[in-house]
Amino acid sequence: MKAEYVNAFYKATQEVFKLMLDVVPEKKNLSVLEDLASSKDASVLLGVTGDLKGSVLFSMSKDTALEMIRIMSGMQLESLDTFASSALGEVANIIGGNAATILSQNECICDIVPPQIFVGSYRSYSTATRQTLLLSLDTDIGPIDVSLALKE
Amino acid sequence: MLWKEKYRVGVPLIDQQHEELFERVSNFIKTALNGAPWEERMESVKETMYFMQDYVIVHFDEEEKLQQSIGYPDYPAHHEAHEVFKKGIDDYVVLFNEEGFSEEKIQEFAGKLMTWLIVHVGKTDQKIGEFYMKDGGL
Repeated sequence: MKAEYVNAFYKATQEVFKLMLDVVPEKKNLSVLEDLASSKDASVLLGVTGDLKGSVLFSMSKDTALEMIRIMSGMQLESLDTFASSALGEVANIIGGNAATILSQNECICDIVPPQIFVGSYRSYSTATRQTLLLSLDTDIGPIDVSLALKE
Repeated sequence: MLWKEKYRVGVPLIDQQHEELFERVSNFIKTALNGAPWEERMESVKETMYFMQDYVIVHFDEEEKLQQSIGYPDYPAHHEAHEVFKKGIDDYVVLFNEEGFSEEKIQEFAGKLMTWLIVHVGKTDQKIGEFYMKDGGL
């Protein structure tokens, strides 16, 4: 997977978090995994089609997800209900849209498939790739994983 | 509180309408989530929903008139963003009219509406303010 694909999602995540949450995620680690999976409480799966195909998974703890909702809405929720899940899915969707815009500037034309939101424990997802790149991000509201399983 | 000072564009009429929109959406979210029996809240949710559907049209029209009066160069893209926003609301209104106003779907819509509003006002609209301050007659 080319560095520019990872960078597009990294940059888009930074932009959208800064705009919507006043939080700037910083790259902590980049590693290669065999599966697309998460053991964190809240995950949003985006599909990518077009010149790039595959999936991007955003995962975080329940506390981090609820803090995102608190910053946006001013409301402290107790659980990841329909409202919170919908808002998280839309934030990921906006990140995907921004990443697609960045990629299009490099002549890579992609579409983002509407997000699926998963709340709960460990879950693995099928992928069209043999490997997944895991971009671990540090933020003031807790760690966030961005897993990319993309192929040309 | 949904509204943040950083969302201010710097054009008084626009900011006043944005604050009104944020307050309405904030109340809409609170009503959608407050846990009282759904039948008691449904009328208030419906009323706010239809109000917003009308109010965004009024607000977007006013904003677009301002953009045209100051020769805002990104007007076509901004108009398109408004159309997408309106369609997002209209699609849910169609769904609610066809399938009824369920609590689940209203909460899903509230989550999306909040993020759309933050991104539109926090990012897209800020560019109007920047142009207005620089070239728009201030």
